[in-house]
Amino acid sequence: MPRSANWRRRRRGAGSLDVARLRESFAHVAVHGDELPLFFYSDLFIKHPEVRDMFPVSMAAQRGHLVDALVKIVSQVDSVDDLTAFLQGLGRDHRKFGAVAAHYDAVGASLLATLEYFSGPAWTPEVAADWKAAYELIGSVMTAAASADEQLAPPWWRGTVVAHERASFDVSVLSVQPEPRMDYLPGQSVAIESPSRPRIWRYYSMANAPRRDGLLEFHIRLIDGGALSMALTSSTVAGTELKLGPPVGALTLSNPVSGRDLLLVAGSTGLAPLKAILDQLTALPQPPKVHLFFGARTADGLYDLDSLEKMAAQYSWLTVTPAVSADPKFAGETGSLPDVVARHGEWSGHDAYIAGPTEMVQEVAARLASVGMAQDHIHIEDFGWSQP
Amino acid sequence: MEPALTRAWFEEQNRMTPEELRTVTFPLSRLGRRGYEEESVEEFLREVQDEFVRLVNDRTTLWQEVQRLRRRVLAEKPDGGPQVLFGEADAHVHAVRILSTAQVTADRYVADAKAYSSQLTEEARLRRDEIMQEAQQYSDMLLEDAHARASEAAVSALNGAAHPQSHHERQAAQAELAYLRTYSDVYRAHLRAYTEGILRGIEDWERKEAASLSEAAQAVPIAGAPAIDGNAYMHH
Repeated sequence: MPRSANWRRRRRGAGSLDVARLRESFAHVAVHGDELPLFFYSDLFIKHPEVRDMFPVSMAAQRGHLVDALVKIVSQVDSVDDLTAFLQGLGRDHRKFGAVAAHYDAVGASLLATLEYFSGPAWTPEVAADWKAAYELIGSVMTAAASADEQLAPPWWRGTVVAHERASFDVSVLSVQPEPRMDYLPGQSVAIESPSRPRIWRYYSMANAPRRDGLLEFHIRLIDGGALSMALTSSTVAGTELKLGPPVGALTLSNPVSGRDLLLVAGSTGLAPLKAILDQLTALPQPPKVHLFFGARTADGLYDLDSLEKMAAQYSWLTVTPAVSADPKFAGETGSLPDVVARHGEWSGHDAYIAGPTEMVQEVAARLASVGMAQDHIHIEDFGWSQP
Repeated sequence: MEPALTRAWFEEQNRMTPEELRTVTFPLSRLGRRGYEEESVEEFLREVQDEFVRLVNDRTTLWQEVQRLRRRVLAEKPDGGPQVLFGEADAHVHAVRILSTAQVTADRYVADAKAYSSQLTEEARLRRDEIMQEAQQYSDMLLEDAHARASEAAVSALNGAAHPQSHHERQAAQAELAYLRTYSDVYRAHLRAYTEGILRGIEDWERKEAASLSEAAQAVPIAGAPAIDGNAYMHH
């Protein structure tokens, strides 16, 4: 990896970066909590008003993201490969926001001004040099990754909604035509921005494998007070133009396929990435045996059950088990998904793919691990560096 | 040199840090004796931590102010020439503070709006679930009732076949059967009306949604369309 070599060389060079001193300096200023990112963004926007338009109206979540990224960078500053991968991802991800090289200088200047302000008398020339060196490295890794990515993909895709169907009370299915064509792995997601909620991006998984016509299908569940989900389920109609970020995520089949049978566990619209994987399997000459559990609170939440049952009738390798957690009168399986999955057998020889509400995903993963499934056979959504 | 606002300084002075407050734990109370309510202790600690952060920030602000004043005093010319009350750097820090306050205010408005919309959608969803559940229960009840009546009728018909009935008994059974038929007719009509009502509600909902979505795109009334007022006038 040429980047990490560069990093190592620079770190050794003239002792320009003292990791211990950098960490101590960060610990001093971190005491100030939210004041730190608040000062940073105000400083940046006063010096470069044109940058303000790249951010949402409310900056509360943004400030958290900045601090999280700083904490991660400072804590991993000496584990080069992890940090390099994180920063490369971050650099590529920032292309969709319209970040260009000039912005990196502006951000660096405001970061140093902020650290200086909160360090008080602890801001010595040595500390200042440490931060300057650290930021130059961060900026160079991010911009290098971003410009390498320019050769491969646009910063974002225009996604024209061609159909909006209401699949249940709370779930809408959007068919979106991306421009240009988007290549991705089944199970991956993209960040979506709606024209009615500028600068608010949320991740959604494609619910189909790449198709000849390039259409993408998204399952959107209305979340109470959810900024983007409300816009996508109510005011989005055929013709609405969305912005789509680059495909991300590692909830994908291994290549070549492992040869083990598959256990798919979907809670609510967590079905989307797993349906994309099913779609991919239908094209294989010899698909593995697949058992899909599809859970929701009530029967109404099993929004896509008809099409799944049709698939199960068509493909002998597929078994579909619907489960409902909050309606004891439901004719099929009832109870929490981890319980239902555990009741159906011993899964240790399988590869598991789990998607849905965070809590449910973790419970199912923990349950499978406790009955002896190997940790690296349990696959869950992991956006890594990107922040949904 | 001023005591640095650093963790090292906190440790040196044996002072408490916000971090310490966040991570402090208390031993559990002995069995049979009730300790403090965990939640209240945690909530209090959160408040103390917030207060602490505020104090630390105030201190930094004060320290910056002292530095600014110190620079001014040091820069003061012996001939008592004109003073610059507010250097460029000070003006920038003030601007940053003003913008920060404005940003935090905006953040609160957005958070309030979000909480409000969250509450509204949640209430609407709960109400909807309630209505659906009531409708479900009602139709379940009607069906159960109809089944019970039907089997009752079947049983009495069987009994009637097994034992020779008096003319009076037969009349009573026929009356009962007629009653049951009317009863089930009424229930069927009732259930149909109820279901149709729900369907109309759903259609209306769909129509209104479609109308509100296409409102913006709607053209102005077409010129030459019959004017209701004019017609009404002619009839007079």
